[in-house]
Amino acid sequence: MKDDAANMVILAPNDNVGIALRDIACGSLARTVSGVAMVAQEAIAQGHKMALGDIAQGALILRFDVPVAIATMPIAQGHLVHVHNVASRYLTNSEDHYE
Amino acid sequence: MNSLVHTFEGASAMRGFPRADGRKGIRNYLAVAYLVECAHHVARKIATPYDEDGVQLIGFPGCYPSAYADRVLTDLCTHPNVGAVLLLSLGCEEFQRKKLKAAIEASGRPVELLTIQQCGGTAATIQRGRAWIEAQLEELKVAPSEPITFADLVIGTKCGGSDGLSGVTINPAVGRAVDLLIDGGATVMFEETCELIGCEAHMASRAVTPELGAALRAAVHKADRYYSELGHGSFGGGNIKYGLSTLEEKSLGAYAKSGSRPISGLIKPGVQPPHPGLYLMDTVNDGPVRYGIPNINDTQTITEMVASGCHLILFTTGAGSVVGQALSPVIKGVSNSRVFERLEGDMDINGGTIADGIETIEDVGRHLVEAVIAAASGTPTKSEALGHQEFVLSYKTYEPLGPGCLPG
Repeated sequence: MKDDAANMVILAPNDNVGIALRDIACGSLARTVSGVAMVAQEAIAQGHKMALGDIAQGALILRFDVPVAIATMPIAQGHLVHVHNVASRYLTNSEDHYE
Repeated sequence: MNSLVHTFEGASAMRGFPRADGRKGIRNYLAVAYLVECAHHVARKIATPYDEDGVQLIGFPGCYPSAYADRVLTDLCTHPNVGAVLLLSLGCEEFQRKKLKAAIEASGRPVELLTIQQCGGTAATIQRGRAWIEAQLEELKVAPSEPITFADLVIGTKCGGSDGLSGVTINPAVGRAVDLLIDGGATVMFEETCELIGCEAHMASRAVTPELGAALRAAVHKADRYYSELGHGSFGGGNIKYGLSTLEEKSLGAYAKSGSRPISGLIKPGVQPPHPGLYLMDTVNDGPVRYGIPNINDTQTITEMVASGCHLILFTTGAGSVVGQALSPVIKGVSNSRVFERLEGDMDINGGTIADGIETIEDVGRHLVEAVIAAASGTPTKSEALGHQEFVLSYKTYEPLGPGCLPG
């Protein structure tokens, strides 16, 4: 892996989340190949989503220009977007029953 | 000859075993099938000594009659990758064993039916079963094969243990491979209607007719309704741990496996696609919720795609599933390099190189097609070499296909 490789991908221009391509530490720079760069305000593990801007409660989370969730509380830029602050518009699945 | 054969040089090495129905198998397996759980142990004891010689164990555990299980087991016993079948019956189960045996005979395959109660119990049945297998294996070894092309192949796609990178790396790479295979004349199917929730409008826009588009939407709506009533969706566990937040986010990643070509039809388990192209398989029960969760694990829906004629399965994982499948080899691709490094012995393809900035979706898509060519040329996939023979068949109910599902 190249050290200067992008560590985040934004799948479509309208998306309000980026996907971590590898673990991004709290306080470090998240950047894409297209040059978008911002500081991660908390740890974003590989495959997880980071807010690209401030997201209002009730706003749709757009990934690849497709709504994949709805924000259940305000989410500030650089923060983790996951089951603690978003919900499905279909089945409820807030329970993490892993392990 | 199509252009894909020229761009993938190894393709001329692909070979198949011709069957009476015109299909060609890329393996010449002997299937041992138990017709009720009570015959499972005996079937396993018969098959186990030969599990590295192409003997595959399948079966149906239920005792009560099921038109669905009847149909699927018949499809599997006459699958192109199967060259001979040994049926194991207890004797008092309700499975229509003579009807199944007759269907296998009619397909031109050697078949034997052993009924434990008539054979004299466990030990005597095991002895007879193994003797039959040993004689058949000699025949299967010398069976002639002939060159095949992509047009002879039916390939299924499936994901298990998706993570946040599945939809960024390996699933789009499978989508690219699917496009290449279809352009080369192959038949490809995808499924998981419960994991296409949220993608139905886009999927309908790819249908070859408006009627099919409506049928595709209806299949997803049925899955949504069914799972809502059941109170249980196909989401959770490792999905959440590895970054997916909702079912519809998982859906988006799963849908990427279907590539970009037009969708030619909607099928149900056991229905063979009538011509090459891309098909969606509806894997959720028709009618009211019954028999519990429709698909208890990944293997159950893979079994249904195999029943519809898949020679090979392209299986993607994020968390690191190790499953294979009886009758049809599984090619496994992983979404991230961390899991690839940990489970390299199980993974055929690493899609993590895309996230690492080392390879592109196109590169990994081509690796997947090369893996298909290798498997169809007789090289065992990783799960096949490790002896994986996962298999699940349980009770379900399907109504016949509606109008508009198979245009043209």
